[in-house]
Amino acid sequence: MYGRKVKLRFLFIAIAFITLILSAFLVLKSLEENVIYFQSPSEIKLLSELDKKKIRIGGMVKKNSISITANEVKFIITDFKNEINVTYTGAVPNLFAEEKGVVAEGFLKDKNFFSATKILAKHDENYMPPEVKAALKEN
Amino acid sequence: MLYSVIGYYSLILGLCFSLILIYFSIINFRNSKILDTKILSFTFLQFFFVIISFLCLVLSFVFSDFSNETVFNNSHTTKPLFYKIAGTWGNHEGSLLLWLFVLTLFILIFFLRSKNQPIKYKILTLVFQQIIIIGFFVFLIMTSNPFNYIYPTPEEGLGLNPILQDPALVIHPPILYLGYVGSSIIFSSVLAATTLNMISKNWASHIKKWVLISWFFLTIGILLGSIWAYYELGWGGFWFWDPVENVSLMPWLALTTLLHCILVLEKKLILTSWVIILSITTFLLSMSGTFLVRSGILNSVHTFASDPQRGLFILIFLFSLIFLSLFIFFFFHKNNENNLSSFFWLSKETAIIINNWFMMYFLSVVLIGTIYPIFLDVLSSQKISVGPPFYHKLIIPFLIPFLLIMAIGPKLKWIRSNLENKIYLISLLVISILLSYLIVKNFEYNFLINSILISSALYLFFMNLRDFFIQKYQNISQNISHFGFSLLILSILFNNLFSTEVITNLKVGETFESSKTKIIFENVSQRTGKNYESIIGNFSIQNSKGKVENFLPELRIYNQPNIVTSEADIKTTLISDKFIVINLVQNQDYFNIRYQVKPFMIWIWLSVVLISFGGLISLLKKKYEK
Amino acid sequence: MKSKFLPFSIFIIFFVIFIIFYKGLQDTNIYTPDVKINNEIPSYSAELFYSGKIVNSSEIFDLNKYYLLNIWSSWCVPCRQEHSILIDLANNKNLKLIGINYKDKKENAKKFLEELGNPYEKIIFDKDGTSAIEWGAYGVPETFLIYDNRIIKKYIGPLNKHSVKEVKLLMK
Repeated sequence: MYGRKVKLRFLFIAIAFITLILSAFLVLKSLEENVIYFQSPSEIKLLSELDKKKIRIGGMVKKNSISITANEVKFIITDFKNEINVTYTGAVPNLFAEEKGVVAEGFLKDKNFFSATKILAKHDENYMPPEVKAALKEN
Repeated sequence: MLYSVIGYYSLILGLCFSLILIYFSIINFRNSKILDTKILSFTFLQFFFVIISFLCLVLSFVFSDFSNETVFNNSHTTKPLFYKIAGTWGNHEGSLLLWLFVLTLFILIFFLRSKNQPIKYKILTLVFQQIIIIGFFVFLIMTSNPFNYIYPTPEEGLGLNPILQDPALVIHPPILYLGYVGSSIIFSSVLAATTLNMISKNWASHIKKWVLISWFFLTIGILLGSIWAYYELGWGGFWFWDPVENVSLMPWLALTTLLHCILVLEKKLILTSWVIILSITTFLLSMSGTFLVRSGILNSVHTFASDPQRGLFILIFLFSLIFLSLFIFFFFHKNNENNLSSFFWLSKETAIIINNWFMMYFLSVVLIGTIYPIFLDVLSSQKISVGPPFYHKLIIPFLIPFLLIMAIGPKLKWIRSNLENKIYLISLLVISILLSYLIVKNFEYNFLINSILISSALYLFFMNLRDFFIQKYQNISQNISHFGFSLLILSILFNNLFSTEVITNLKVGETFESSKTKIIFENVSQRTGKNYESIIGNFSIQNSKGKVENFLPELRIYNQPNIVTSEADIKTTLISDKFIVINLVQNQDYFNIRYQVKPFMIWIWLSVVLISFGGLISLLKKKYEK
Repeated sequence: MKSKFLPFSIFIIFFVIFIIFYKGLQDTNIYTPDVKINNEIPSYSAELFYSGKIVNSSEIFDLNKYYLLNIWSSWCVPCRQEHSILIDLANNKNLKLIGINYKDKKENAKKFLEELGNPYEKIIFDKDGTSAIEWGAYGVPETFLIYDNRIIKKYIGPLNKHSVKEVKLLMK
């Protein structure tokens, strides 16, 4: 028979192993559900069907496209090839401006309309979100 | 000009002293009867020259010497003196110099404070610390020299990013660095102790002071950053699970775990491997924080200037340290624990170990959430981001057992124990459950998880409150910290549950009305500050009880660089914060307005202060625990 | 067996992590518009500063000649510092200077040139900063050395003695 010490050690390792697997499973599953993918207006045009999940769209805010009413802000995100109309209700960051890079997070209504729940902008005026940079570069 | 020259050569001298120190240390290590006094004097000299160099940079900033590139890039003559000085560490080069300054300061203090330790151990710690210091010296001199010239001398600097011009952010980096760098001492010390195979109860009580010091500063540092984000970024939140915040949270989690393990080690001489791993991890996580933030590899709202060249250097340096410590761990560490058999399931150490597991789990969640996007981008070039729901979903449910064990654990004795006073344990639990039911019963959303979570937090709260009065200050530091933690969880929960928010766009003179609030945009006025112009909105806000308050949120347009920032107007009371922030959308006459009522906001800050205060007490107390 | 296997695999894991971070670094997230060194110059329609004529940007540059394209603005203090260097460089017969006037008011820019001299052969008027984006510029001042419709070298920030020396070397 094994001694008490060995048994304890086995128990210890077994518990550690099980928790490890369990947490790995949890983390992976949760990652899958909560990851937000990034797309450019051109990529959205190419979609065959609309994704119901939350996504991020990035590009430049088109010149003279911002219009604002009491309830919402509307603007157009462009990657100089394709455009998408965005409606947004919520707080606008300081560096949100025409012809600056922008990332909007929210849901696609159809291929031309996006309803944003959050707008992200950076503290640095020279900054361009990497996704936007990549999206613009492709064109 | 002059300062740059002095500063630069002081840096070079500092590096030379590192090499000299290593040389003497090796000689002294071979023949280690007495500690060579030269070592101490050279350590002091090194510290002295780093201070000189740091002061030179400060003076360059104070006198706006734009022949210095760092000053040119980050300062401006119209900037207030306070922020000129703060500008010294508000940028990459200066902040690294600050790192170096704290590194040398700490090794000096370490030497002065650990007279009773074996000489070999002290020398070896010094050598490991010097390796880190050399790394930083070379990094500073090669890739980010703070004393670069510009010729011809510009007349005006480019200015400091205005959102960094803030009192909380002035002291935030130095304090955070004290925490990070404190962990470097733990790192060097643990490597030295492992190599010499002298991890013992003695060593545990010696290093515990350093663990407490860095833990204290790290906690305060994170708190300050969080407070800054709350009132400056204008989102009204205090934690966004942003990568830069995560990289400061990860060392904190590791350090907190280490703090508890050290206690076990000090009492029982078990968990030695675990303590070594944690000590190493803490420092390496702090270093990776620097890497991730400074290299621009992470996409974060807080990363400012960054440069891939520098990233490469830190990356190589970081991984050299990782491989060095792995090597030492696997080749020198001999497991001399003897007493797994004396492990009994119901004991203080079991509680600590279980909560350690939870902490490690939280740590891995944060780690994965932070670096997964980088990995995915490299492996499949898909751009993704991991949002707060990921963290919430994975962390919140596990807080429940975590809190319960935290409540019961300290009641247990070391080695083996039975629960005494079962009646009050259970009665307090019942009270907590009832109370939380009363609080949450009006909520349909997520009722179950909220009520269980609140009851376990309340349970911890009551347990500590009771101990506070009954146990007569027996273990007051632990008591205060745990009490603070329960308060933190409670205030965060209430804050999330009862916050209300109005976001709307208004023109001057317009009124927004909903069932609960009426916001009147009275007028705007203008004001001129030293280096900015500001537009001040005048709002009167009426709540459901008809009480009217006046708010003056501000929109600042800084002259150099030309950036607009929103200054929120926050009215803080013990019960809730009222927070309003405005923003002007380009070329439009509408103002974007965000008004939030956030209950118990101040308690979040206070509870973190309490948590760190517990650490401070235990640091100052001569005899730790019973 | 077991005792060797564990350290070994951990080393390997960290090594893989290192590689991944290293690769991640190559593609960093900062907005440095591509330093298009040895790249073709962009072609787009640009407005000339004095005449107001719209031309194609690539028509400005001839083959077999060295050009120094300088992005400047009257409100930019470092540009003022660098201007005397540009005037000196303009005396060089083998080098032609082209300016891009970035996000500026025409009156201010004219005053600036009257005051400090005009080293440029041609100036592109870039009122909204789109030209600068085409060139992949960071901000002002910024200077590109161009030969055979290719960008040979890019200088971010004001030119200095050192960069002038380098420009002269590159032209040989």
